[in-house]
Formats: sequence, C-alpha cells, structure tokens
Amino acid sequence: MIVTGLLCGALLGFVMQRGRFCLTGGFRDMYIAKDNRMFYALLIAIAIQSVGVFSLIQFGVIEFSAGSFPWVAVILGSFVFGIGIVLAGGCATGTWYRAGEGLLGSWIALFGYMFMSAVMKSGLLVPVNQSIQSVQLPSNSIAETTGLSVWIFILLFVAIVVAIVIKQQKKPKIAIPTMKPKRTGLAHLLFEKRWHPFFSAILVGLIAILAWPLSEATGRMSGLGITTPSANILQYLVTGDRSFVNWGIFLVLGIFLGSFIAAKGSNEFRFRMPDAKTGITSFIGGNLMGFGASLAGGCSIGNGLVMTAMMTWQGWVSLLFIILGTWTASYFIFVRPKVRKKSPTVQTKINMA
Amino acid sequence: MQKVLEVMGQVCPFPLVEAKSAIEEIESGDELVIKFDCTQATESLPRWAAEEGHAVTNFEQIGDAAWTISLKKK
Repeated sequence: MIVTGLLCGALLGFVMQRGRFCLTGGFRDMYIAKDNRMFYALLIAIAIQSVGVFSLIQFGVIEFSAGSFPWVAVILGSFVFGIGIVLAGGCATGTWYRAGEGLLGSWIALFGYMFMSAVMKSGLLVPVNQSIQSVQLPSNSIAETTGLSVWIFILLFVAIVVAIVIKQQKKPKIAIPTMKPKRTGLAHLLFEKRWHPFFSAILVGLIAILAWPLSEATGRMSGLGITTPSANILQYLVTGDRSFVNWGIFLVLGIFLGSFIAAKGSNEFRFRMPDAKTGITSFIGGNLMGFGASLAGGCSIGNGLVMTAMMTWQGWVSLLFIILGTWTASYFIFVRPKVRKKSPTVQTKINMA
Repeated sequence: MQKVLEVMGQVCPFPLVEAKSAIEEIESGDELVIKFDCTQATESLPRWAAEEGHAVTNFEQIGDAAWTISLKKK
C-alpha cells in the first residue's frame, strides 16, 4: 500500500511540471511583477482540498487532529524558509520537480534541503529545534479557538476564492503568443499545451485530497508533506533504519518521477549544470529551506497548501511569513540591484566631484 | 538591428530580468532574440512581451529544453 505514495507523487510531479506550478515564482512575482495569478491558483487548490478533506472527516473516512500551535517556530521558520526558496530557485516541491527536469542546481538544493532537515530532526540541531518549538499556544485549530464550526470558515474562504476567480475571468484578456503545436490530440494536451494556472490548481487540490486517505491507509495520519519525507530518505540511507521508510518517501520520489516523465515526454528534460555561483546559492538556499521548514513544521506544501486547508493557525501564519520571506529575499536579489543599475548618473556625479 | 541575448543556463526569473534590461538598450523596431533553457520562461517571456506590447516574431523550441523567442520592440 505504501507504493500508492509513488502514484500520488507522480501525479503531482506531472501536474506541477506541465502546469509550471511554482509557488516561489508566484510569491516573488506578487512583489516584483505585481502578478497575483499563482497566489490565486494556490488559494483555489487550498479551497478544493479544504472542502474535500473536511467532507472525508465528516463522513469518518479519515482522522485529523490539529494539535498545538508552536507560533514562534512557525513564524521564524517560515520566514527563513521564504528566503531559502528564493535562493534555491524553487520551494521544496518545486526543487523536487525541477530536479526531475534535469536541473542539477536543484539536485544541489535538494541535497542541502535533505541534509539540514535531517540535522534539525534527528541530528545536531534537535535541541535548537525543540526549544524554539516548545513555545506553544494550546490550540492550532481556528475553529476550536473561536468556538465556531469549521464549515463557517471553509464557506467564507470558498466565497472569497469564487469572488477572486470571477473577478479574474472578467479582466480583458491579452493574447499570449504560443509556439506552433507539433502534436495533436492527447499528446498535445498532455505534453505540449500550456495549462492555465487555475486548471493546474484544481488538479493539485484534487491530488491533495487523494493524498489523505491513501496516506492514512498506511498509518501515516496526514496529507501531502515534503520536508519530513525528504529528511527520512537521508536518515534511512545513512542509518539503514527501516522505520524511516513510509508513504511520504514514496510520495517525494513520485514527484521526481512524475516530473521526469512529463519533462521527457515534452522534450523538456536535459541535464543542465549551473555555474559555480548559482550552485553555491542553491546549496545555501536548500539549507535555509531545510532549517526553516523543519522549524515551522512544514514547507509551502505542508503548511502553505495542506495546513491552510485544514484551517489551522499554523498554515495561515506560515503562509504569510513564507511570502514575507520571499519578498525580503527578492528585494535584495532582484529589486535593489536594479535600482542601483538605474542610477549611474548619480554615481558619475560623485566620481566627477 | 538585431540583438541576441543568451541566457542559457540561467534559472528563472533571471531570463526575464535580463530580457527587461536588454530591451531598454535597443531602439524601437529593432529585434531582440532570446535563447533560454529555463522551462518557466516559456511562460513568462511571451506573457511579458504581450503585456508590454512588443510583437513576437518567432517562438520555437530548438532542442531538448532549449528555446528561442524573438521580439520586435514596440
């Protein structure tokens, strides 16, 4: 049953590769390009998952407990994670699926991510991780804290998302130039056509629902998750302890596989070696990602997509601080250098004087 | 006049960042040819060109994970 993780991951990797579903790019572009489309796509995926998973809980198919809310760890970890994903050129999932496209920079980032996650979860930094996580608020569930039914929050959120989608669809469309199709039928739809981000988001939401019953059938009581499974791979490889092998490991390996199939099928796979500078940046980014996600108890998928859908404080606070982290890093990497470049006259004047 | 921008090996968003500064260096009506291998740029470059009003005169895949796009500056 554990191999259903491979199937679920492969679907996710395929959809993300073909849909160019990149949350790092999405959060970054909200700031540097004033483009919110990918963020709205994420909200759609959260809404679909939320309705689906709470329906499953309502009918007793799956179980979920929100636990407590380690707020300091979530805030600090998410912010560091946000900085890390910009340096790594992709979030945790993004790094997995780009690795499947043959980007060796992402392989480097992935290694840094696995390494630091393992150091935080079972290595040298366990005391640091535990002490920061020990600062907790008793309830993580928004419904529990407010004493209202969780469905009130879900319906409110769905209404907001529907309003956003309607507003987006009403905007005048500009024609985006596309490449001449070389294929027809299913091959064109699966391996060539550009997918609308909202369409990809619907699929991501459905896969996120599917992950819950599949994972719980193997005794792993949660949905999509990237960080712990990524750490588990390295922990298993270096200790040989089979207790690290679970549904999640197959899930992340599936993402890699699904993305590889998607990229290979559409002639988008090629091993690409980054220059030394990009390689080093990717490695640092991967380590920050691992540190942040382990502390925050989730990455942009675990917290940003899943814990948000579960209507927890952890999910929404984390999402906010991941976004703030990406904006902070984007300012130093993309915005400030441009401003400096644009004012050569000021520099010349200073030189002249 | 034609200017060629080689951003092979650069990951997103750098192809777009480079393209934005390259287009500032050419005259209206001149052509900018961008060669890139970042998958996400197959989405971001044509979208940016369309939004800015530059005409896309050529857009094709030239190999495994390698593309070229040519724009005529507005």
